Amino acid sequence: MESFRFSHTNNVAFALLFYPVNNPGKIKQRIIDAAKVEGTEGDHERDTVNFSFIEASLITSRLHLETAINQAIIADSQGSLRTKTAHSEILFALNPTNNITEAIRRYGVSDKSESLLVVQITDSSASVSDVEIKMKEVVDGTVVPFGELATITEWDRVKKYHKLDKEVRGKGEETRSFIDNIVISSVAMKSVIQ
Amino acid sequence: MALSLSQSLIRASLPISQGAEAKVYKAQLSETSLPILLKYRFQKHYRHPSLDNNLTRTRIAGEARALLKCLRSGVNVPGIRMVDAAEGVLGIEWIEGQSLRKLLGGTEEEGDDLDVEATDTELENPLKDYGVSVEELMKLVGIEIAKMHKIDVIHGDLTTSNMMLRRPKSVESTLAAELVLIDFGLSYQSTLTEDKAVDLYVLERAFSSTHPDSEPMFATVLVAYANVMDKDWPAIRNRLEDG
Repeated sequence: MESFRFSHTNNVAFALLFYPVNNPGKIKQRIIDAAKVEGTEGDHERDTVNFSFIEASLITSRLHLETAINQAIIADSQGSLRTKTAHSEILFALNPTNNITEAIRRYGVSDKSESLLVVQITDSSASVSDVEIKMKEVVDGTVVPFGELATITEWDRVKKYHKLDKEVRGKGEETRSFIDNIVISSVAMKSVIQ
Repeated sequence: MALSLSQSLIRASLPISQGAEAKVYKAQLSETSLPILLKYRFQKHYRHPSLDNNLTRTRIAGEARALLKCLRSGVNVPGIRMVDAAEGVLGIEWIEGQSLRKLLGGTEEEGDDLDVEATDTELENPLKDYGVSVEELMKLVGIEIAKMHKIDVIHGDLTTSNMMLRRPKSVESTLAAELVLIDFGLSYQSTLTEDKAVDLYVLERAFSSTHPDSEPMFATVLVAYANVMDKDWPAIRNRLEDG
């Protein structure tokens, strides 16, 4: 389990990287259904999927994810979320435009997701093993070390979504860190884009 | 009242320097992350609160947008790491290195430097550490400014304090030294020859007031600048010469 502990908040974020994922369509359906169920049963179902399900192939580095989590936590603390929860705000922060539907379609779980980063923002009293059990209950897939992300990132899609096709050519390590820096910067300044 | 997240972050950070507009800190966002530089545009009590909030927000947004534009076009500037416009905080990548002002042995800035790392400036020839000569350094300055002007970003405050030389990752590093432009707090977008010429003029004044015998240095800057600007150069040169 990867954990993100910030120096300015008691919030902690936990993340698990799943690759491959066998039930992406089912997870997506479950999130949609959970929003519709009423009463205590609904609360329970919503709690079961109370994570951010992120298309891992669009994440370029640990810092990329950390920046999105941090900006979501800041927005939440100020009551300035643009989406309903801090978890959906992570997806919103990751997408370079202000279109929420597009953010969820691109960066959230889809029928075609092969890899997922499952993130929960919680407080420091949460038990890591509980969170891990809950994540594994929802996702049918193989947990791989966070470092595997480097082999999962689809740089061509990252470039396309960030409109970097023209600016950046080449595929080397240097090119990747150049793209990574731009992508991280876009996420960090999401709240002040035009 | 509980502190806001950004205020707690500032509380836990190391003050670096203070100006009239902002305070600068070295901070760490998370246990595992690299240090960042926080630029905190504190509240100005001499302004009406709502005007103050508005101005602060606009300036942070402006600075962040200029940085992103530069990053996307390959101009060497610090990456953005966090933005909290409501609290007036901009977090950028920490550049390990030294300002050109110090590297060139410029006269000290007045008083407001809180000087946490004053010791390593005592070296006989600080540039040696970075493996560049003064002439090469001036070329890098010219190239970087030209790259920025090519995309119509005007820095607005070009001085040797607002340029840093990034320390090479290792001594044997074959990577060329990297000149990084910083502090885009006064930057704006413009396609006008006039604005680009003024940007250069400001730098020329800065050179001559902080570094003795700077004319040949600035001339080298312009040669490298002209080279990159190519056909745009003659018009800018004319404006610059008109003074």
